[in-house]
Amino acid sequence: MVQAADDVYLALQRELFHEARLLSAADYDGWVSMLADNIKYSMDMPQRRFIEDKSNDRAPKKTPIFDDDMAALKMRIERFKTGFVWAENPINSIRHIISNVEVFETKTDNEFTVYSIMEVHRSRLDAERKRLTAGRKDLWQVSETGYKLVKRTATLDDGVVLDSNMNFFF
Amino acid sequence: MSKLDDLIDFKTGRQKRVIYSDPDIYEQELEKIFARSWLFVAHVCQIKEPGDFIRTFMGEDEVLVVRQKDGGVKAFLNSCTHRGNRLCKADHGNKKTFVCNYHGWGFGTDGALNGVPLEKEAYYNKLDKGKFGLIEVAQIKNYKGLIFATFDEEAPSLEEYLGEMKWYLDSWLDAMPEGTELIGTAMKVELPVNWKLPVENVSGDGYHLGWAHAGAMTVTSSLTVGGLEVGNTGTDNDGAVSVAGLNGHTVLAALDGQSGYGFYPDPTIPLQYLKDNRETVIGRLGKYRGEHLWGSQINLTIFPNLQMLPGLNWFRIYHPKGPGKFEMWTWAMVDKEMSDELKQMILDNVSRTFGPAGLFDNDDGDNLQAITEQSRGWRTRQMDVYTNMAIGGEQTRDEMPGVVSDGLVCEQNQRYVYRRWLEMMNADSWADIPNYNSLEEARATEGK
Ligand code: FES
Ligand SMILES: [Fe+2]
Repeated sequence: MVQAADDVYLALQRELFHEARLLSAADYDGWVSMLADNIKYSMDMPQRRFIEDKSNDRAPKKTPIFDDDMAALKMRIERFKTGFVWAENPINSIRHIISNVEVFETKTDNEFTVYSIMEVHRSRLDAERKRLTAGRKDLWQVSETGYKLVKRTATLDDGVVLDSNMNFFF
Repeated sequence: MSKLDDLIDFKTGRQKRVIYSDPDIYEQELEKIFARSWLFVAHVCQIKEPGDFIRTFMGEDEVLVVRQKDGGVKAFLNSCTHRGNRLCKADHGNKKTFVCNYHGWGFGTDGALNGVPLEKEAYYNKLDKGKFGLIEVAQIKNYKGLIFATFDEEAPSLEEYLGEMKWYLDSWLDAMPEGTELIGTAMKVELPVNWKLPVENVSGDGYHLGWAHAGAMTVTSSLTVGGLEVGNTGTDNDGAVSVAGLNGHTVLAALDGQSGYGFYPDPTIPLQYLKDNRETVIGRLGKYRGEHLWGSQINLTIFPNLQMLPGLNWFRIYHPKGPGKFEMWTWAMVDKEMSDELKQMILDNVSRTFGPAGLFDNDDGDNLQAITEQSRGWRTRQMDVYTNMAIGGEQTRDEMPGVVSDGLVCEQNQRYVYRRWLEMMNADSWADIPNYNSLEEARATEGK
């Protein structure tokens, strides 16, 4: 894999940080403007399987949490906008922390593979604090209006989700 | 009257809040409810080949469910008989031998202890291996693809345990010739909630849909479901039923034959599937179930901890982890005959509506967590809570078994769930637990 040039690296890292700030602020219209129309946004959770397991091929591999296109993402966002999502009122504190950013060239000019790790911190109710981590692999594309996220595949690290809702994005 | 009797009043629909927080009550639940009930352990599709296994829970007991060489199924405690180590750490897979990580004892898929390292040198060849096989459940049985097990050898047969509930279960499990299968793997979430709260919620609480889920309903609704409206401004008492009095099992059902797909933004493909197969289903289940149950939004609850929603196609079990915590495992369950396209659509919809980031499920967690927490305070836990809606609405109907009340917004089912809870908590053995499947039988056995 070929490392992207430094200016591309810096520009994409800036995009990731900007995206994280929008997500933490629940500025979903701003976030959607960073996504390509044909976005594929998905997140799985792991299963605990033996390395040598012979049933790997015929058993289901994925446990999806998100598997969304633009219409599905917009449906989630519309739900937040109804004003009926009682769990998010009062507003909960959330931080999206990005690290381990790596950017690689792809076969297509102006498209880059970006690896990163996201850590989500949530502080809710009185003393409730949750911390979720996920590895992400993205495809970003240069468009006329700047970089757009085309594809994200994330994997949550936990085999059991340790939060009572996921009213946020990774 | 036992001390427990004060916790539940079936007639007035009252419960004491301590049932959601008291550690002693929880310990009794493990013994009197989880160790005696028939509990779902696996779907046949999860363990097809000899050596296929699933790791799951019966109450807080961890078990391995294993397909045998002869095609049968056994379930064992997932615990080594030497020093008690966890035998298998994987969620599922295939094994010829389960070898313990601590000292290397090896157990066959039939549970027999086959291999003991240094058997000659350290045990002088005197270890009676026949006495150290894995501990099996007392009974295990398959009902139309769902495998249940119990730790109680005196438990009635699974058929009797399910009773007339089978009539409703069959409207999904036996609707199509090839039956059902789970797709994907379990979506697992741990919640700081007492395990009874999601059970009572899904068993009968149509009341919360239009309010707690107003946001999700607004963006997903494409068909009316039992006349429920966003903001709890409407419901249709004639178009839906609450059914209980079935040994603790319950049914909440719309009767329109299509609303199961009401929370699909575009239900065209599933509705076509219903149309293409309705005649087949009527042929198998008869006109009433074929037209009014198959395809409708239905909540099926198998006491104590299994729930399934045909239409929304989710299948869910709750594993208790202490008075204030449980793990929820959710799958998508489909008819085998469905096209791959429809199965994928259903899997997507299950994860999108009731998965860990589900539009609906994410509305429930906070409410149920708060109720759990509001049953702890010294003054608060002495309070009561109520399921006293539609008291006196109980009927018998010719077309369906059980005790029937009108509509989805009705708390009859929760009252019967808690009645069963009390019956089991009070009973010394299965001989003391009444068996009822109709209004007449439910009345005759009330308070007995
Ligand atoms: S504890 Fe399993 S071999 Fe010793
Ligand atoms: Fe709900």
